[in-house]
Amino acid sequence: MKESVYDVFARKERGEPLTHIGYVDALDAEMARVYAWKTYDEQNWFEMCVVARSAIIPVNRADGPFAGAALGSLVGRQEG
Amino acid sequence: MSTDTLSTLDGLEADVRAALRREILRLADTKRILGIRFSDWLLGAPSIETGIAASSMAQDEWGHARLLYAMLKDFGEDPVTIEHDREPSAYANAPALDLEFEDWAEFVAAMVVVDGALTARLEGFQDGRYETARTRLSKMLGEEEFHRDMGLAWLRRLANGSPEARKRIADAVTKMLPSTLAWMAPDDAPTAVLAGAGLGDTAADTLARFRAVYAGPFGAIGVEIPEAPVSLTAWDAERGRGEGMPDEEAIERARGDRNRMLFVE
Repeated sequence: MKESVYDVFARKERGEPLTHIGYVDALDAEMARVYAWKTYDEQNWFEMCVVARSAIIPVNRADGPFAGAALGSLVGRQEG
Repeated sequence: MSTDTLSTLDGLEADVRAALRREILRLADTKRILGIRFSDWLLGAPSIETGIAASSMAQDEWGHARLLYAMLKDFGEDPVTIEHDREPSAYANAPALDLEFEDWAEFVAAMVVVDGALTARLEGFQDGRYETARTRLSKMLGEEEFHRDMGLAWLRRLANGSPEARKRIADAVTKMLPSTLAWMAPDDAPTAVLAGAGLGDTAADTLARFRAVYAGPFGAIGVEIPEAPVSLTAWDAERGRGEGMPDEEAIERARGDRNRMLFVE
């Protein structure tokens, strides 16, 4: 089993946009959500989410911080 | 049995009062020692994230212990004395915590077995008539949801890992389970008195809560949870746990002996 990167997003108030606040390495989504909460729980968050970085699809650039496997697979599908 | 909320202990029968006090100490002492055992793994955990989680859980457990010890004020007792002036032989913690964990598998086993048992018992305590428990345990049990998820995630990881990992977690759970079940759901008079007064679960009800969460995951590693409360031959009814006591060093750390001269309250 290999660990993957999960990005952590959170907001303090209901109406605020989700902000990227960091990342965790985890084997699966369940562990990622626990690690995220335990790592970034200093503030009183209204909402926190984790997203597998591999599931993030970059839109306008391939060299951004979230560019990962998803872009490659998307490009591959388009070309195929 | 009255169904009214119990807001004062004045006039409470002596046996009910003693049973309630024992219950609070069992819960508080287990959380205090569990926090120490978790803190041993801030460094040396399998990953940075896991070490941070262990650190956070250690803090949670110590905070929970502090809150539970504070309930002794309802008995006219000074929690500071209870926290800082007792010998190891007076501690009512789950016996699985008497010695430090030998490896990471034992840490994981403690998350599911001991912390799981604590939560099962606390849920019944919160659902009872004791107003202090009804109002103060909600946040604690909310934090415990993450402990449960972390424990179950790690249990799955080891169960689906190498044969060696699977064997070590099964051995660790098997080692901790009997004494912890006996501690969690004592099949004795004080527990029956407490339940009869509407202040906590019966032993069978607590066991049912625990089984509802852990019977499946433990079954996956070949460990069965008994369906009836576990009794130990060597039972200390005064503390509500099996024989033995936590090691001296753990209690010195719990009491803060080394820096006692700097103690400020």
